[in-house]
Parts: sequence; structure tokens; C-alpha cells
Amino acid sequence: ARVRVGRGDKMVTYEQAHAPHHIGHRKGWLSLHTGNLCGEAGAAQRALEDAFLRRFLAGTFPGLLLDEPVLKRRGNLLVLCALLARALPPHKLYFLQGYTETLLGHFYKCPVRLELQTLPARLPYKFL
Amino acid sequence: TLMGARLAGSHGDTQEPKTNPLVSISDEPETLYKRLSILVKGHDKAVLDSYEYFAVLAAKELGISVEKVDKPPKTIERFTLLKSVHIYKKHRVQYEMRTHYMCLELKYLTSSTAAVYLEYVQRNLPEGVAMEVKKTKIEKIPEHIQKPVWDTLPQVKETEVKS
Repeated sequence: ARVRVGRGDKMVTYEQAHAPHHIGHRKGWLSLHTGNLCGEAGAAQRALEDAFLRRFLAGTFPGLLLDEPVLKRRGNLLVLCALLARALPPHKLYFLQGYTETLLGHFYKCPVRLELQTLPARLPYKFL
Repeated sequence: TLMGARLAGSHGDTQEPKTNPLVSISDEPETLYKRLSILVKGHDKAVLDSYEYFAVLAAKELGISVEKVDKPPKTIERFTLLKSVHIYKKHRVQYEMRTHYMCLELKYLTSSTAAVYLEYVQRNLPEGVAMEVKKTKIEKIPEHIQKPVWDTLPQVKETEVKS
């Protein structure tokens, strides 16, 4: 959904500021898999898995996710890269990381790696 | 002293030859490949360009001769859908999916070289990129074709046709 212009106080990140037609030109892809290539199968399954994973991450890190997580699939391995805010102490973040990795690994029957990075606050690109 | 301890312990087992458990030596003749064709597909052209540089460098380091690096034109799959949930047939949305290709052709490989190169290159395949490999084997001509048929048939004596 395109972010509409307001009074000038709404903070907008780089990802939110650019519309979908900028993907490939000014934006990158949020989910990287081979399902949508010509002659490759499994696009629907990957889309369903992506939707579930984004909801799961939004639920396990409530209010901490700064931007949309990037999902990468290399062969069997599933890599989730997320940016978090520094609201929780580190030992709790490590516990949540291990919890998501084991639970998703048992659920999807594939190795899952969660790569977290913490930032003090959301990076503003412009104010609309 | 430390220097003396290092020199004393290194030549203890010179009588036993060191065998690497990962390397296997077999006496079977290796299958030869005339051409190894690797087709790489992806959505991002920059990712494919960097992967091409990496694969060509790996082939040169291993001593494999690269025949050519071909870049077929991209294919765009487009479809037009209705923009609204209910009515408004005149307002549509168009989506497209672009697939870029890169074909790498290597010539004259042995099966073990091909296995090593393919394993290395496939382990470092970036996410969102797919690969198809085609191998062209060289085989000896089978025994029943080695000599032409007209040499093996018994010679028929020519009879004079009386008209």
C-alpha cells in the first residue's frame, strides 16, 4: 500500500517510501527464492511460507521489528534476516532466536538460521 | 626449549605414508565430458554478473578451459489483473516477472574435475538463483559400428546378364 502524503510529521523508511514498481531499480527483494523464475515450480508454497514466517516473526518480536524481515532460501537452508530495536536485554534476544530456530526447523523440516541486528531506532528516509 | 620440541616431534612417523581420508583413488577409467553447459537463471542481473565473474575465476583457477560465456535475452512474463475487488473493469493492474539468463560452457573435463567444480559452484549459488547443468559425454564407438557394413559382407560374384 502506497504511503500517502500527510502534514510532514509521518516518518517513512526507505522500504515504505518506494512503490512496488521501483523493485529491481531502487529497491531490492524482500523474499529471495527460485519459485518465480521461468520454468521453476513451487511459487505458491514459498508465498504461503513467507506469509507465515512474517506473521510468526512479528509475533515473537512484538513491537521490536524495525523493518520487514528479509527471507533467503539457499538450497534447503532458510535464512531470516531481521532488524530489531534495542528494547529487550541481549540474553532474552538470544533465547528468542534459539526458540524460533528450533521451532521453525521442526515445523518446516529444514535448517533455519535467524540473523538479528539491533539498531537504536528506525532509520528515517523522509517525512511525509 | 619450544624450538627443540617442535623439531623433535615432527619426524616421528616418517615410515607411515600420510593418507588423506577425503581423497579416494580408484582404477576405473574416468568418463570424459566434451562439454559442460551451466545455465543460471535469476531475477537480478547484477547478482548474475557477479556470479559469472566468480564461476569464470573458479574455472581458471582449477585449470578448466572456458569455451564461451553466453547471455541469452531475458524473458518477461506479464499478466493483467483487475485493480479492484468488486467492479471497475476499466481499471487494471499489470504485474511482470523478469528472468535473466547466463550460460557458461566449459570444455573437455573429466568426471572428477566436473564433480569438484560443480560442487564448489553449487555450494556458493546465491539465493534466488537457479541452475541447470547439461553434460555431453564422450564414448568410444561401439564395436558393431566400428567397421562399415559393406566391408564385412561376403563378396557377391558378378554374373553377366544375358539380354
